[in-house]
Amino acid sequence: MSVLDDISVLMEKAFERISQADSLAALNDVRVSFLGKKGKITAILKDLGKLPVEERRQIGAAANNARSAIERRIEEAKDHLGSGDSRTFIDPTLPGTAQPLGHVHILNQVTDDICRTFYGMGFEIAHGPDIETDYYNFEALNFPPDHPARDMQDTLFVEGERVLRTHTTPVQVRELERRKPPIKIITPGRCFRNEAISTRAHVAFTQVDGFLVDEGISVSDLKGVLVAFCKAFFGEDVKLNFRPSFFPFTEPSAEVDVSCILCGGKGCQLCKYSGWLEILGCGMIDPNVLDTVGIDSEKYTGYAFGLGVERIAMLKYKINDIRLFFNNDVRFLSQFK
Amino acid sequence: MKISYQWILKLSGLDWPVKEMADRLTNCGTAVEEIEPTDQYMEKVVVGAVIDLKSIKGADKIKLATVDVGSETMDLICGAPNVAVGQKVPVALLGAKLTGDFVLKKAKIRGVESCGMICSERELGISDDHSGIMVFDSDAPVGTPLADYLDFHDHQLTFELTPNRPDSMSAIGIARDAAALAGVSVRRPELDVVESSEKASDYVSVRVDDSDVCPRYAARIIKNVKICSSPWWIQKKLLVSGIRPINNIVDITNYVLLETGHPLHAFDYDRFGSKEVIVRRATKGEKFTTLDGKGHDLIPDVLLITNGKSGVAAAGVMGGLDSEVENTTANILLESAYFAPSIIRKSRKYLGFVTESSTRFEKGADPNGVVFAIDRAASLMHELCGGEVLSGIVDCYPNEIKPVTISFRPTRCNAILGTNLTTDRMKEILSSLEMEVTGEDKLIVKVPTFRPDIEREIDLIEEVARMEGWANIPDAIANVGPLFTPIHRCDSFTEETRTVLTGAGFDEIVNHGLVNSKFAKEVNPDLDQVRIVNPSSSDLDAMRNSLSLSTLVVVEHNISHRNTDLHLFEIGTAYFPPDNHHDWREDQRIALAVTGNTPNGWRRTPRPLDFYDLTGAIEHLVAHFHWPAFEYVTGEISYLEPALSFDIRIKGQVIGSIGQVAPKIARLAEIKQPVYMAEFSTTSLLEMNVPIPSFKPLPQFPAAPRDMAFVVDADVLAGDLLTAIRKAAGPLAEEVNIFDLYTGKQIEKGRKSIAVAITYRSSDRSLSGEEVDVVQDNIAVVLKKKFNAEIRDK
Repeated sequence: MSVLDDISVLMEKAFERISQADSLAALNDVRVSFLGKKGKITAILKDLGKLPVEERRQIGAAANNARSAIERRIEEAKDHLGSGDSRTFIDPTLPGTAQPLGHVHILNQVTDDICRTFYGMGFEIAHGPDIETDYYNFEALNFPPDHPARDMQDTLFVEGERVLRTHTTPVQVRELERRKPPIKIITPGRCFRNEAISTRAHVAFTQVDGFLVDEGISVSDLKGVLVAFCKAFFGEDVKLNFRPSFFPFTEPSAEVDVSCILCGGKGCQLCKYSGWLEILGCGMIDPNVLDTVGIDSEKYTGYAFGLGVERIAMLKYKINDIRLFFNNDVRFLSQFK
Repeated sequence: MKISYQWILKLSGLDWPVKEMADRLTNCGTAVEEIEPTDQYMEKVVVGAVIDLKSIKGADKIKLATVDVGSETMDLICGAPNVAVGQKVPVALLGAKLTGDFVLKKAKIRGVESCGMICSERELGISDDHSGIMVFDSDAPVGTPLADYLDFHDHQLTFELTPNRPDSMSAIGIARDAAALAGVSVRRPELDVVESSEKASDYVSVRVDDSDVCPRYAARIIKNVKICSSPWWIQKKLLVSGIRPINNIVDITNYVLLETGHPLHAFDYDRFGSKEVIVRRATKGEKFTTLDGKGHDLIPDVLLITNGKSGVAAAGVMGGLDSEVENTTANILLESAYFAPSIIRKSRKYLGFVTESSTRFEKGADPNGVVFAIDRAASLMHELCGGEVLSGIVDCYPNEIKPVTISFRPTRCNAILGTNLTTDRMKEILSSLEMEVTGEDKLIVKVPTFRPDIEREIDLIEEVARMEGWANIPDAIANVGPLFTPIHRCDSFTEETRTVLTGAGFDEIVNHGLVNSKFAKEVNPDLDQVRIVNPSSSDLDAMRNSLSLSTLVVVEHNISHRNTDLHLFEIGTAYFPPDNHHDWREDQRIALAVTGNTPNGWRRTPRPLDFYDLTGAIEHLVAHFHWPAFEYVTGEISYLEPALSFDIRIKGQVIGSIGQVAPKIARLAEIKQPVYMAEFSTTSLLEMNVPIPSFKPLPQFPAAPRDMAFVVDADVLAGDLLTAIRKAAGPLAEEVNIFDLYTGKQIEKGRKSIAVAITYRSSDRSLSGEEVDVVQDNIAVVLKKKFNAEIRDK
């Protein structure tokens, strides 16, 4: 028998054993006995060098073909055996094993949501210092010298004639000072007040203020932007109620209620059965404020508004204790994705 | 402020239901915070007569009363000290709902059944008086529902008034707004002062020494008054407004205060001490006793009403003890004055109390309302106390305060509001608020002196807005302002940092920055602090000068609540006072902390979190923002364990610190497990110009990966080894990574085994095994020479 015949016999044998193999292990045995280091086909290929040159090519080709064919058969057989035989089992109810994610603090999530909504309406974000001068926090904002907010009972004072800002409105003054209209800005940030810490009050709170100064800005524009914000933030069906109010730095001023986000205005515990939730203060920037920063209040007008982030977060997520925000208990933090 | 709803109806002439009244007032800026029916605790309460009283055996404080309530006669138990046979009293029947959510049920005390209850004013929600039961006139008809008998069908409206509106601090003021909303005028009570022929000026003179702080002082004399309790209609108004009736004279001054908003004071003329009122500032150290019996050492910030010798009242705040109206008082010196807000504010702050008077003077009373108020009170004293009003007002008003006149452009008003109101409508609004309006295109508006808040055109525009109603101003839907809205680097930086670090499993914390100064001093003994002058708590008396201060507090809070495995970060501010080199500084920083173990799971075994969990997260940030690598250089950081603390440097500049919290600090913070913290300033990182990475062509030729393991002394730094390997390998080494670090049994003590994976690649050819072997040999030689490395495998 020639070597070529040997090859075809080996191939047939291999095919037969492949067809009989009933496990991946058995298939592997076949592969080893024919194609492994000491396999029968491998032996032929190894001995090619001993053959005369003219036979070498022919037998080499045949052996290589046989090897390929056996490999192909083994692969095909594997497909038929399927995975059931592989003894692997997947339990899809087991938790996945990716790295657990951390959580962005809920106050920052809400602040970002508010800022993004206003950014979408063309408000640029600006920041200012937490430790402010009396001038920026009060005087330039038209607070009279003996206004109660300037009292030690309401405001935290810092050694060296500074205050911890009581609102982010000082940033409005700083930006109005260094820019020219049109100016359209929101100012998120931390604020402080002299208050005993309780479930409903804290020494620190987070505010987002916003303002627009340009020619021809009116209460009507202010209402428009706040209606647009509230619809984007609380949903299309939300209703707004503007109640005239008083702030030293705006005139006319108003406080804004939205229809209760829980009951829609029918009355429930959240809105204390009034149907409304107070969420922000607003008004037209007082001409004194514009004149103080050197903007001609006859030519330019502007509006301003401010909202408390904790209050909105508490309403939206039904959080009943303001202290939770600054306690940073991870069981609290991890509730808000 | 609390005011009777019925009173407002009467003064405004309106008939709006209470809810409508409250809503409309609220929407014009006169906010009603609460509506309370005054008769809500009077249902099933009737007038009864006490027929009989029996004592109960073994109980000396309670009695068994038999009362006639018209429909029946019943027995009930009464413990009031003032109960007596023959009295007409309020009797609550079974099922009556009284204050404090108390529903009356049949009760048995000492074996005696009680089927009703005789009530005090407090139980009926009339006042806070609980000293005894209410007793009515003897002609009170038995069986009449109590609220009908008392004519107590009213609502108490609680107003939340803005500080700029002193004019609304009265029944007339509120009614003025209500009337104006309906386009009508407020109905002030008509005055009819019957004066006697005697002249007041013969009895009293007034001298004001400081007319800047007391621009007006008016006085009247009312003789021969009879002190008794006020008629019920006055008491009722006071009770609904939350003021306790005292006697007819005091009640009248309080009634007029509530009605007109103008505070009055009644002195006992005979105990005044002289015939001369002198108004002056107190001298320093001057003694004065207010009518609450408290003695004061005064200062010139207190304005004093004197009799020429000593003080009789702290002007606008509180009267003195010596001249108070008593039951025996016969003659009254009645004061109606206008004090400047500033002096009253200082005065009441110094004296330490706020009164109905001081609040109104402080916000701004009406200098020209003085006469109306004193006349109203005088006529009531005539009518209700039988007093004889002497002729004339002794009025010291040297410089008349005149109404201001403001020019008002209707076009400007429409421009500010975004409305289309007619000039007539604006005129109507301003007139209904009792302003005098003249002119056509440009209006001239004369503002009454009871509106000290109105000084400018914009103030008038505000009045138009609030009376027209904000609801009637259209919403503009145009988006106006600059065309382009930039996003600033600091904001995108914050947002991206959050994304990266939460992705790495860290929870974000937020702190307010107020800390305990003593703790801050322990943690950062060398850093200056920003100190709070008037802290609300001694625990929050400084601003933090490192984020770690707050982080430690948060770590402690969590561990003490059994959250022991923590990955935390904060993006926040550290605060510094000015020093020789800097102004006030607010440094933006990132802080990270880990403690406890990695999460447990079915495929992972928890291991303690440590230093490398921090540097791993930082490496994410470095890679994300393309910063140069952070270097960690052994440093001395006050709150970190000396051997385990490092400065964080970037290009040689120290920007922060990292390490394990020192045991001493952990003890102070009451933390009992190892905590690793890092904190670095982002100011310089944000300013850093990071080049945009340029594309590198993908490799054309295969890589030749090789591993190499060697043993070196334990204190050899991995970073130094990697640098040496990269240098020795030259340009062919594309990447060098440590994939194993081992110390233990198989390695000699004081030595460690490190294994690295090196990826060799050339950009212009496939590398042959021989070529790579040469490089590997070179590395081995260099490591041997430089680090005394023993090559284990390559």
